[in-house]
Amino acid sequence: MVTREKDARFGFFLFFFLGAVVLALFPVAPTLAQEAGKEVAYRAFPLLGSKLAVWVIAQIHLNFAAFILGVPVFSVIIEIVGWRTKDPKYDWLAHEFVKLIISAFSITALLGGLLLFILVGFYPKLWSYMSGIFFPTFWMYGILFFLETFTVYLWYYGWEWLSGPKKWIHVSLGVLSNLFGTAILFVANAWVTFMVSPKGIDEAGNLQSLWQAIDNPTWMPINVHRLLANVVFGGIIAAAYAAYRFLSATTEEERARYDWMGYMGNFVAISAFLVLPFAGYYLGREIYAFNQTMGITMMGGFLSWLWIIQAILIGILFICSNYYLWLGMERIPGSERYRRYIPYLLMVLAFGFMVWATPRSMVVTLAESRAMGGTYHPILGFLGVMSAKNTAVNILILTTFLSFLLYRRANRLSTKSWAGTGMTVQWATFGIAASIVIFFGVYGYFVDSIVRIGFSVYQVLAVLGTIVLVMAIDIPMFRGAKSTGTIRWGKIAPRSQYVLILLAVTFTWLMGLMGFARAAIRQYWHIFGVMQDTSPEAGAPALGYAANVISGVTIVFWLLVMFIFWLASLGDRGKARAHEHAAPVVAGGVGDPE
Amino acid sequence: MRLPVVVRISVLGLAAMGVYTYYANSIPQIQLKPPQQLSLESGKVTNEQLVKAGEGIFHGKGTCEVCHRIGQPGSRAPDLAGVGARAAKRKTGLSGKAYIMEALLDPGAYVVEGFPNIMPKADKPPIGLNRSEVWAITAFLESLGGTVDVTLDDIPKTAGSGGAGGGSAQVVELKLPGDAQAGQAVFMGKGGCFACHKVGPAGTGTVGPDLSQIAKIQTPEYIMGKVLDPAAMGTVAGFPPHVMPQTFGQTLTAKEYVDLVSFLLTLKGGSAAPTTQGKK
Repeated sequence: MVTREKDARFGFFLFFFLGAVVLALFPVAPTLAQEAGKEVAYRAFPLLGSKLAVWVIAQIHLNFAAFILGVPVFSVIIEIVGWRTKDPKYDWLAHEFVKLIISAFSITALLGGLLLFILVGFYPKLWSYMSGIFFPTFWMYGILFFLETFTVYLWYYGWEWLSGPKKWIHVSLGVLSNLFGTAILFVANAWVTFMVSPKGIDEAGNLQSLWQAIDNPTWMPINVHRLLANVVFGGIIAAAYAAYRFLSATTEEERARYDWMGYMGNFVAISAFLVLPFAGYYLGREIYAFNQTMGITMMGGFLSWLWIIQAILIGILFICSNYYLWLGMERIPGSERYRRYIPYLLMVLAFGFMVWATPRSMVVTLAESRAMGGTYHPILGFLGVMSAKNTAVNILILTTFLSFLLYRRANRLSTKSWAGTGMTVQWATFGIAASIVIFFGVYGYFVDSIVRIGFSVYQVLAVLGTIVLVMAIDIPMFRGAKSTGTIRWGKIAPRSQYVLILLAVTFTWLMGLMGFARAAIRQYWHIFGVMQDTSPEAGAPALGYAANVISGVTIVFWLLVMFIFWLASLGDRGKARAHEHAAPVVAGGVGDPE
Repeated sequence: MRLPVVVRISVLGLAAMGVYTYYANSIPQIQLKPPQQLSLESGKVTNEQLVKAGEGIFHGKGTCEVCHRIGQPGSRAPDLAGVGARAAKRKTGLSGKAYIMEALLDPGAYVVEGFPNIMPKADKPPIGLNRSEVWAITAFLESLGGTVDVTLDDIPKTAGSGGAGGGSAQVVELKLPGDAQAGQAVFMGKGGCFACHKVGPAGTGTVGPDLSQIAKIQTPEYIMGKVLDPAAMGTVAGFPPHVMPQTFGQTLTAKEYVDLVSFLLTLKGGSAAPTTQGKK
């Protein structure tokens, strides 16, 4: 079976390597041969155009990179939990997660190579300038990539070899692979963020300080944002894999195992997702600090409708995540006492969603516009501004956190004497946080925009503080709690698994949309304010065109992912039970997955 | 019959993406294109034309409207209603037009009380107004409650000299001694270029690439070489090789050659017809 898996991987590697080489050389070769020795700023990619070619390859590469860098972050944590608690099911789960990225490693590298070919071939002047600035980091990137690949492969293939007393070495490899992975991410982010917010160069574009070019204003915010987003993405793709395995399962045992895996993947994704908007605020603030025009163009200019689409996607993510948790409660004995809250939670979520997705200016006919007295609706127009939207998203986060809290304690009764006080403090904290969020949301209508922007910080701090304080009370309060029954893994409604799939597709689409936003804020600049895009394709396309491209990219990405899922499942067929790393039985045997 | 799992999840994924894509195509479709360069260096322009051009820059390339409003206080930057009259009183010793120019070219020199120092220099990237555009927008701002008296000579020669992004990162402008208008005549006449190449509304040829933006996408060296020795410069992907005559070096005089290249170097898109992917 192992041989078969290796053969499949080798075939996969060879297929994509040859494909990438042919694809890269086909359009470039004739032009390169004829233009040798001349300085060319741009070359045209046949049929698609260079811009679209770079966009598609870069986004698919980015999706895979996010996946392979995100999964090890939580896999090593899960492995450590298994190691310290001596519970084999966590070890199995971590192994299962890492198995997915092993198959994705080669395609990520090949897509990266293809992206490089396209940049060098079709944007030679840009490439020449960027390499002039960042050449020393190219070496670093290459070395780090080698170290990352070596460590992850050793981590995966050494799982059995480095078990028992040598487990600490194995865990260290996992930690090391994360350090290398994070370093790779930071290096690549330096290139991308330099194009958005260049620093370390003089007015003529000559390099003054490499470190300043790396540590440009959006570098650290993007590092934080992408690190979190990678965890979200890795978690949700792993959950989608588990959903696929759940729906394809033929035994109760298998269904239970993948129900648990799906829950864990989603738990990881949503935990990181709750913090992601705050990282987004941090990034947005730095963009405004770097260049007000860029910030305002991003939020209030030609990209303003993009945030409405983003709001709809994030609203769907929030509602689906909550729905999955509520469906999951049905497999937990004792959860009945919390089900009466669900309609209220749903109402809050729906209202928050509607507010967030309300556009400021409406698409209306002339007659409708006259009837409204302008393009702003007399009532709904008030919900289209940042005050309302910031309030809505913070309330959505609080509500999702509350759903998770109810799920967490569904089959537990605290035995602590101070439980009553603890719960009162928790509810009061929720109430105070909601009040702060709503107060600043309403107050924001009565102050100038420059003051209003600062209010979002208080709202964010209130929500973050609540999450920290409530969990700080909850964990000791339910330690050693009385159980009302064991979670019946595998007994969840199948529609929950489709929710996981929908979450994964929506996250992927959202990543594509944010990729477009990041590129579009540079407007018609390759490097903002330094190197203008003077090609015929300069500028940013309309959202409809962008959406078509994003959907195309998402489809190609998921086709490749499904292929990888299939590849990963090969190892479990036939003699899977005889495999050294046999799957544990989790049905009804897992009471506390957190 | 139950559909296979892969089919079911694929249908779900495609349906979700279809909804997102449909919605994104239903909202206002706004494209962002590089702004056109305004050139008034000849100085032959009336005040009305100048103010109108300046107003266009205020709403467009200048991105002034992003922060400033006219007659609507409470924005990120001062309300500009009446700035034409107010400008002369802002700084002792500075005339109205001098103050406006300082505000455009060195905005940090004087910051109106109660507002943050956030304005970028209008003649530097990323806004990068050229000297003509600085002149036009100064005239427009003067017209808001004041008298338009700014002339091109008032605008510092250095204004906009940073160009669109300066230095090693940029395509360097090459000034040839040729006459672009005469070059256009060569293009449409003796050279016969129009038979194969399209240039904006002129020319109908599709045998060779559309040259409407050739000056933006290729270097002067390439254009010069391509006219003299097309085979040596290669053929653009998607077009037949060895079609362009190798004889222009013999049939055109030196002046005609320089005029033709000068004309080609003026082709930067602008109001030209949509271009193709091809280039020459």
